[in-house]
Amino acid sequence: MTASAPAAMTGRQKPSRARVLVRALPALLLLVLALAGPLLAPHAIDRPLAAPYGPADGTAALGGDLLGRDVLSRLLSGGAPLIATALAIALAVTAAATALGILAALRPRFGRWVERAADLAILLPAVLGIMLIALAWPSGGRLAVGLAATVLGTPYAVRVVAAAAAPIAATGYVETASAGGERLWYLMAREVLPNLRATLLALFGLRFVEGVYIVSIAAFLQLGPQPPEADWALMIRENAPGILLNPWAVAAPCLAIGLLAISVNLAADALAPARPSPETPL
Amino acid sequence: MIPAAAERATAPGPARHLPGAGRAARLAVRRLGMLALLLAAVFAAIELLPGDAADATSERGESAADTTLRREALGLDRPVAERFWDWISGLPTGDLGTTAHGQPVTSVLSGPFPNTLLLGSLALALSITGALALGSWAALRPGGRVDRAVAVASTAAFALPEFVVSVALLLVFSQWAGWLPAVTLTGPDGAPASWDMLVLPLLALAIPQIGWNSRIVRGALADQADLPHVQAAIIDGLPRRRILIHHMLPGALPAVAVSTATSAGMLVGGAVVVETLFNYPGVGAVLAGAITDRDTPLVAGVVVATGAAISTLLLLADYVRDRILGTTP
Repeated sequence: MTASAPAAMTGRQKPSRARVLVRALPALLLLVLALAGPLLAPHAIDRPLAAPYGPADGTAALGGDLLGRDVLSRLLSGGAPLIATALAIALAVTAAATALGILAALRPRFGRWVERAADLAILLPAVLGIMLIALAWPSGGRLAVGLAATVLGTPYAVRVVAAAAAPIAATGYVETASAGGERLWYLMAREVLPNLRATLLALFGLRFVEGVYIVSIAAFLQLGPQPPEADWALMIRENAPGILLNPWAVAAPCLAIGLLAISVNLAADALAPARPSPETPL
Repeated sequence: MIPAAAERATAPGPARHLPGAGRAARLAVRRLGMLALLLAAVFAAIELLPGDAADATSERGESAADTTLRREALGLDRPVAERFWDWISGLPTGDLGTTAHGQPVTSVLSGPFPNTLLLGSLALALSITGALALGSWAALRPGGRVDRAVAVASTAAFALPEFVVSVALLLVFSQWAGWLPAVTLTGPDGAPASWDMLVLPLLALAIPQIGWNSRIVRGALADQADLPHVQAAIIDGLPRRRILIHHMLPGALPAVAVSTATSAGMLVGGAVVVETLFNYPGVGAVLAGAITDRDTPLVAGVVVATGAAISTLLLLADYVRDRILGTTP
């Protein structure tokens, strides 16, 4: 049901390259700022500088956190690991989904198993799955959360790739190559994959948004990174009790996650001309 | 549901269709089977964790012999498959087993479960109503200002983690405006003490789901707009409202039904976070404690409850699609 409707009726034109760039720009700027953040931090992230929940003043522009550490410095340092983990998850899920999805389109019997696995995965809420894996492997930290997010995110992503690859697998040139005795990996990598660029780019964007969501939820539940670390979601959880004394300690990381999630999602949306489909059994 | 399905069966259809009642039963059995499979997987996953319930709940200074005794009392020395069978065969009678602390699972969950159910179903209702309203509003003006605004707002909303929405709502409505309470106080009956304590958790849960569902509604309605009978209605000059309600919405229902089921799963995840932040007396806090205690039956109990709710919604979605499209999955 995706993308079959003519653009005129749905009111969505295929976005021009310039418009995509304009919509993706805030996300790119934010990514650069977050990744360069640790270099810009004015103070050490682990040394008390002000009173606990001290208000904003000359030395600490956004005040102190629950231990009096500089909120601004922790804010600038807390983005890079979160974004790196989310990027790793997005890459892993997209890669796994690409391989399995194309295979499912070329081998329908395998495709039916993929569908059943995705049907099963929808019954287990992602947060419950992450709790299970992160607690099974307490020393895993970010790696455990990343692994959980990859395992839980892949079934849906495979469905998206398989749905996009199915019409391509049925085209004459793939059938010709298949009848000509080409090997499976050749069909996958040379015949089908090059035609999936738009789908994969959009999938990667959406998986990155999903990665930010899952990594920050896990950090908020204190399943991934542990307290001395400066992580945006962890900062919100830690400083929530002092929201009356220094609202910035909570509001600033909250704004950072909100801006990151929204701008990356808008950018991913701009890259994907197709409308979203419910990523569920249909 | 069965009479309606039987009525359909008399209509000519592809030969692979089973007779009506059988078809409905087959759908239900398939969903039940998947739920059982999921529970087996969760049971196995918890067994793979290092340590078990007897270790996790041991008191300070307890001797190894005491722990072993308790392990036997909890039946943890028996094979996993045997314990799983005991537990799942008790399910139809409403027996969810015993927690690691020796209480029946049903009594541990019976207090917080209605609270979470109340919050979750209100949030589901609000998100579907909101999404239908926003999606239809946008779909009636394709490419217009409203359409573009709804597209951007819904994209933005569904990317936001629930705790970000919660904190924003807390700061605005509780801290600065002072209109609504920031924490939920529990009354003597274990339920929230007053209704206004429900408003902020409800909004925090529903806003990201409204974003997600209004995109689905908008997309499904756009697909409907291309169909010949809708085009014919437009050419006939029928009022827009009538075209929307009588010609477009019925065909969009299957997609909306499936996305409702997806929302239910996401609401469970969101509830764990939102309940923590607002101190809401629900299943979320119980669940967090249960996993640290390696309390397999309690975790499995929560998975049964949520899995059954999602299965029911998926079954309803299957049924809606069956009625409208006349196909079996």
